[in-house]
Amino acid sequence: MSPHAVDVRALEKRFGARHVLRALELQIAPGELLGLIGPNGAGKSTLLRTLIGLVPRSSGHVHLFGLDPATEALEIRRRASYLPGETGVYQQMRGDAFLDFALGFYPRHDDALRSELLEAFELPLNQRIRSYSAGMKQKIALVATLVPNVDLYILDEPDRALDARARFYLRDVLRGLKTKGKTILLSSHHLSEVETLADRLEFLLAGALVPHERVQAARTELRRRPRVRLRDGHPLPEGARVVREEPDGVLVLQTDGDAVRWLQGADANAVESAEIGVDRLEDLYQLLLEDDEPATRGGVA
Amino acid sequence: MRELWLIGFAYMAILELLAIPVLLLWPEIYADLQRSSLFKTIGVDFIKRIGDAVSGRDEEVAYINWCATMLLFRSCNLVTTAAAVLIGVGLFARERENNTLEFLLARPVSRSSILWQKLWPSLLVVVVPVFLVNASAVPWSWSIELDLPWWELFLGSMHAAIFGAAMLLMTTWASIALRVQAHVAAVVGAFVVFQLGVYMTQRIRPYSLFRLVDFDWYGPILCGNTPAWQMFDPIHGPGYTTYLLAACAVFYALSWRALRRATP
Repeated sequence: MSPHAVDVRALEKRFGARHVLRALELQIAPGELLGLIGPNGAGKSTLLRTLIGLVPRSSGHVHLFGLDPATEALEIRRRASYLPGETGVYQQMRGDAFLDFALGFYPRHDDALRSELLEAFELPLNQRIRSYSAGMKQKIALVATLVPNVDLYILDEPDRALDARARFYLRDVLRGLKTKGKTILLSSHHLSEVETLADRLEFLLAGALVPHERVQAARTELRRRPRVRLRDGHPLPEGARVVREEPDGVLVLQTDGDAVRWLQGADANAVESAEIGVDRLEDLYQLLLEDDEPATRGGVA
Repeated sequence: MRELWLIGFAYMAILELLAIPVLLLWPEIYADLQRSSLFKTIGVDFIKRIGDAVSGRDEEVAYINWCATMLLFRSCNLVTTAAAVLIGVGLFARERENNTLEFLLARPVSRSSILWQKLWPSLLVVVVPVFLVNASAVPWSWSIELDLPWWELFLGSMHAAIFGAAMLLMTTWASIALRVQAHVAAVVGAFVVFQLGVYMTQRIRPYSLFRLVDFDWYGPILCGNTPAWQMFDPIHGPGYTTYLLAACAVFYALSWRALRRATP
């Protein structure tokens, strides 16, 4: 029996000629909260669907609590609750009827959490879901996913369409579940928020996990790339070159040495605003993608 | 579910509304048929046979043939097919379009259970109105002082209901295999129209699906000339009902196989 809640080895998934997951290795310990980060099309949703047994793998080994989703998907789904990336709620149902229906599949619920979530999300349960906003639909889908009392929560972009307040609240709820010993695997586009929450982050790029050292090096590199807005008519101070110009006029720079020192030495009249040391997910992806042949962990290109 | 019941009630109401005038106007129709030679001039062989059967000298037999033509051959075939397709098209394809299929498949419930739980209410909605509306033809017939044989009407209704179930199961299979409701409707609709075209062409009529549910089949059942065993025995009798039951089983198995392999 594997000691891992999730144990993925040499996982491959192809859709015809398209290679979506490549020799993927991933282990999650019981009670761990793992954040899965990756750009659109990286294979995050396919990975999560493969884990829950919705998509068959092409090759490799996948076990959740020692159970294989290819043959024991039903038992896995009794122990794992899954939130799909696309909000799937029955529009014609009233909110309360939908929750009764969705939770009716699970033998054990956390009723206290249900009450808390409903109070925090302020959902109009007596109305049909078709009248809900996108954020409200995501909230009711979250209630339907988090209230079942299971061992593993697999959440595909749980913060999608949520406002900042709901996102912060969700973070607290996930912390609470983790405190209770639940294992959580969540994919997200919000790097900073996931980072403060997750025990561990994994970057998925082109179907393979990026080695931690490479992510670390890229993040260090990013901290040397200040984002600067220059005053009109002023040239770029020496000691830096433009990596990219964004549509709003912000320049992403590559400094020769330390970015803070460069900024301190730059003509103060030339620089209108500057930002250093902020990891932007898009920049990180770009940096990781800059290599022609990504040295992905356990991966084949 | 509410939508399903609404379709069911509408479908039953249409069947009943189609039945009432053809039953109650029978005395005038029969009188006209005695005078008219319209049926004899039509060059289509099965319409000629219907004409002969509904204008015979024995009015009770002619009336039973009329009911076989109008209630079973016309109404049940058309309306039941339409209802089965209408209900079946959205059973799974709509779930996919609304992103609820992924939600449903991720619940701790087997796919065979999902298929059955979604199918049985639909089957009831397609099948029950056939029996209820055809049964209502008996009291309506009393009002024009004619009798319809209960048992034979039940047998005919059972065959029509099984045909409706087969159409529903075929559409369900398409609804799982194809991802978009419009594609399901187009494919099933084209198949039905093609089958009707084959039926209307005399030389290839035996190869049409509708040959299993035409007047030549229902007339003898309602007149008591095809006993129940012949409906089910494909070796010593026509056994068309068994063919339809086999089609139901095949389409159910295909649906289950398609759902087992379905991805969101």
